[in-house]
Amino acid sequence: MASGRDVREMLGLPGFDGPKTAPAAKRSKAAVPGKKIQGVAREVAALYGERPPPVAVYEEKKSYRAKRQSTGPAKKWVLQPFTNQARSDGLVLKHWRRKPTSLPTAQSGEDIAIDEPNSGENTDVYIEDSGEFLRYAVQPDMPTFSDEEYNMHLRSDDWSREETDYLFQMISDFAYRWPVVWDRYEYKPSSNSHLSTAQDVPDMENPLATMPYAPSKSRSVEDLKARFYDISAKLMKLRIPEVQMDADQYATYEILTKFDPVLERNRKNLAAALMNRNMDEVKEEEFLLAELQRINMAANRLDAEREELRSRLEAPVPNTQVSAGLASFTSSTALAQLFSQLFQQDRSKKRAAGGGGGGGAGPGRLSLSAADHLTNTPTSTSHGGALSGVNRRQSLAQPAIQTPVRHLSPNAELRYNVSTHERLTSGITFGADKLLKMRQAKSNVQTQKIGQALAQLGIADIISIPTARVGDAFESLITKVSKLLDVRKVREKEEGECRVLEAMKARRMSEIQGDDDDDDDDNRTRREIQDSQERESPSGNGEDDDDADADADADGDADGDVDVDAEGEEEEDEDAEGEDVESQMQQSTRQASEAMSTRATSTGHKRSASVLSQTSTKSNKRARK
Amino acid sequence: MNIPNSSTAPNAGEYAGDEVSAIVLDPGYSTTRAGFAGEDVPKSVCPSFYGQIDKDSSSHYLFGENAIHDPLGNLQIKNPWGSDGIVENWDTATKVWEYAITSRLTGSRPSHPAKNGLNDANTNGNGESVDVDMEGLENLENTEKPLGDSPLLMTEPGWNSVKAREKYIEIAMEEWGTPAFYVQKTGVLAAFASGKASGIVIDVGASHTSITPVLDGMVLRKGVQKSPLAGNFVSNQIRLIFKQAQPEIPLTPHYLVKSKTQVDAGTPAQATYRTYDIPPLDSFRRNEEERVLTEFKESVVEVWSGNGRFSNAANEEMAARLPGRPFEMPDGWNQLFGAERYRAAEGLFDAGAALHDADNPKPKDEHTIPRLIQAAVQQVDADQRPLLLSNIVVTGGSTLLYKFNERLNNELNVIYPSTRNKLIAPGPLVERKYAAWIGGSILASLGSFHQLWISRKEYEEHGTNIVEKRCR
Ligand SMILES: Nc1ncnc2c1ncn2[C@@H]1O[C@H](COP(=O)(O)OP(=O)(O)OP(=O)(O)O)[C@@H](O)[C@H]1O
Ligand SMILES: [Mg+2]
Repeated sequence: MASGRDVREMLGLPGFDGPKTAPAAKRSKAAVPGKKIQGVAREVAALYGERPPPVAVYEEKKSYRAKRQSTGPAKKWVLQPFTNQARSDGLVLKHWRRKPTSLPTAQSGEDIAIDEPNSGENTDVYIEDSGEFLRYAVQPDMPTFSDEEYNMHLRSDDWSREETDYLFQMISDFAYRWPVVWDRYEYKPSSNSHLSTAQDVPDMENPLATMPYAPSKSRSVEDLKARFYDISAKLMKLRIPEVQMDADQYATYEILTKFDPVLERNRKNLAAALMNRNMDEVKEEEFLLAELQRINMAANRLDAEREELRSRLEAPVPNTQVSAGLASFTSSTALAQLFSQLFQQDRSKKRAAGGGGGGGAGPGRLSLSAADHLTNTPTSTSHGGALSGVNRRQSLAQPAIQTPVRHLSPNAELRYNVSTHERLTSGITFGADKLLKMRQAKSNVQTQKIGQALAQLGIADIISIPTARVGDAFESLITKVSKLLDVRKVREKEEGECRVLEAMKARRMSEIQGDDDDDDDDNRTRREIQDSQERESPSGNGEDDDDADADADADGDADGDVDVDAEGEEEEDEDAEGEDVESQMQQSTRQASEAMSTRATSTGHKRSASVLSQTSTKSNKRARK
Repeated sequence: MNIPNSSTAPNAGEYAGDEVSAIVLDPGYSTTRAGFAGEDVPKSVCPSFYGQIDKDSSSHYLFGENAIHDPLGNLQIKNPWGSDGIVENWDTATKVWEYAITSRLTGSRPSHPAKNGLNDANTNGNGESVDVDMEGLENLENTEKPLGDSPLLMTEPGWNSVKAREKYIEIAMEEWGTPAFYVQKTGVLAAFASGKASGIVIDVGASHTSITPVLDGMVLRKGVQKSPLAGNFVSNQIRLIFKQAQPEIPLTPHYLVKSKTQVDAGTPAQATYRTYDIPPLDSFRRNEEERVLTEFKESVVEVWSGNGRFSNAANEEMAARLPGRPFEMPDGWNQLFGAERYRAAEGLFDAGAALHDADNPKPKDEHTIPRLIQAAVQQVDADQRPLLLSNIVVTGGSTLLYKFNERLNNELNVIYPSTRNKLIAPGPLVERKYAAWIGGSILASLGSFHQLWISRKEYEEHGTNIVEKRCR
């Protein structure tokens, strides 16, 4: 071929160019698989194609066997007689061995001599002494005892000396293979006190008739073990006192003494019962196991997901326990943070996706704050108008999603604690957090005051089961508390003003008149004030007490109600006080026309507030009932 | 350099091999197997049946495959084994076994190399040929006995009697002159052949099925179970099927047919038959029929391996819809066998489904293979049961029945659903049939085994009962 191409090349024939490139390409392609696979026939390697098997199934360095070197004459083999060192009877067997080169040549000279028929008498044949397999001739380690020892310590009511010896013989014969020992254990007490092994002999004559003997006491494996371990332990203790045993020995001793045949027998019965279960039971177990595995897998997956979430949040990795991991999210701030981060991610994703759909609903409009979601309550709206504005905007931006809702009867809704919402916020809020949030006002002072008021009412910091209804009640309570606080603030302000005005008036009076009239007048008004207080407060109190009693009687969960009532009472007091102040003022401000306007508005405010609170408490009570 | 794997031979030191040219003899009801230890197949497989011609108060015996199928006048075919699975006729058993050993293995004693003429050309040879030094061979006394210098390992069934074992060693020592002897149970050896020291061995041979629990190379005697439901039982079932068929299926052995012509399925045979002046006896015919039946077992009989037992009405219907298998008798008669072919072996697993008549009584329920296994396992220490069930060795010629293992597996999983039951059934036919022999071949070629031989000296010292003490 090459020569043909050469010829064509020399002659400058056409068709030279074509074939030239093709074989070149072919060759290079063939060369690409690169390193020739070692140890595999070329034909087989060709079958691999582009992708050689991932695991080499050939020997690494296999090549053609080196040519046999003929190093001198053929080695001779001899059928070598040998004795086995593990045998005591000097049995001579023969195996093939290389003829030792160092063998005295005289032996080979003897060849002919040995040929004589009487070669059996030949004693100078080399007999190999083979100890090659000596290591396989192992004798089991057995405890031994003397007659005195037996009589002193090892006697047993259940076991004769003869049978004990038989047992030891069996154990040694079968090298502690208890199932085999038990299987072959056929002790027959002999009439004369010979060794038990010797009395097998008469039995030989009549192999099939093993029955003529009365069946010996049948012993279970546990019985055999118990006897043997008992003896071993006693012997061990005799040889080495307990205190002198080293750790290993003591461990063995413990095992020997702790053996409990009854326990062992029970265990075996259980094992047998386990094996003899029927198909259904096995199926059930399999099913349960599969289920368990499924649950485990789900739990693992959940863990992994949480782990991933946590690592995304770049939170300091808490300990791996699930509960602990969850605990770090129980505080509302942590959750709020989590939410905002998630939301941020979500948003950036949306933005990346192009935000094709809603032209109007730009990302800016959706800028919710975490607080918005977590404190989506009327309280918060009353606290901050800005937030409610955001809410409104959001509700505008998110058209109500229509999902088919299965309607429950109101009764059932109550029972299953199902609530329907006009609008759902994404994410999860905790009822407890909602309650916690309600306690917080804008200013620290206010928060403290609310806290104090609640503490006074005996409401715990953490309400254990914050259901929706409890939330509602709490919410109205908080509303009232904050209103009352407002009222109190106003009152304090007014009182302050009054004092100032009074002081002013007094000074003016002293300036203008400076005599007793004034004093009398003053005293009178004071008395009036006291009277009115005495007159009015008992009635108010009485009324409210009645209410409270009624409540307490009506329902067992008196706490909340009573609290509310007490609050109402307080409120009433304040009202009364307010009226006092009013009347006092009506009297005192005839001259001070300047202050009239403010007073009027403040009283009006007070009135309305008290009315409102009163009605609300009433309605609240009614609802509870 | 040389990574040990299944295809590279281990070093001699590794497997503790040390061959002493021992002979392994595995006598069975149908065949007797013999060969040198260390080889992978018995060199000599002879029928255990022998021929006997009684001629004026003396008997003439015939041995070997060629002789017993020769239709001589007055020839009767006998078997030395008794119905209990133990040798009954010791004289002929000895002769059969000796034939198995001498016909192929030891043969005539070699003459001296210097005189036999084979080495004449070697005087000026170049030394390439392996020159065997014969000096060792001639050293021992040149006995006339067949086993003058080969130790003998024999196999015995698990239920062999003490008397029978003593007879074994007596024959080996006194009549064959072996220097060393050992006898081991077939169950243990079959387990060894599969590389297991512990397990349950299920051996379905010709005359007996046996279950042998083996632990660390030792038979658990209490667990050994046997039953007569094996190859011969299946043969008898087939005979019953033939007899009960409508019309009856004729069973004509080869030696009666001179020539045959092709006939349609199910139509009577058209063959010319041979006649003999002095015909062989009935037992000869029966043995010849047995050959045809074995052929039938090999090619037609199938073990039902679907759901449940074959006797369920649904299963029989389903079986009838499966394609049949054709069989042609020596005389040309032929037919397609449909659902019947499942019936022959069903009795091994389900006594209720076995056919029976006056001569063939209904088999006992506790003789079926599943019940035997259950009984065997029950007799074993509870702790060892799972171990044994995960090593179930299947051996014996009749386990070659088509789908036998599938069925066995199904049955086992029904009995023991909660354990891991694993069948170990060697694929190659030879390993399945000759597992006991192969195990013996392995055992007798181990260097560590040589401590266990009963030597002639020990035999002479202690007498025959040494076998009870040494071969436990
Ligand atoms: N391929 C086959 N399919 C079915 N049966 C077979 C097959 N080959 C042999 N057999 C049967 O197996 C039996 C012989 O098996 P095996 O050689 O294991 O018995 P054995 O060891 O001589 O007898 P035993 O163990 O009872 O003493 C015979 O009954 C024969 O019909
Ligand atoms: Mg057999």
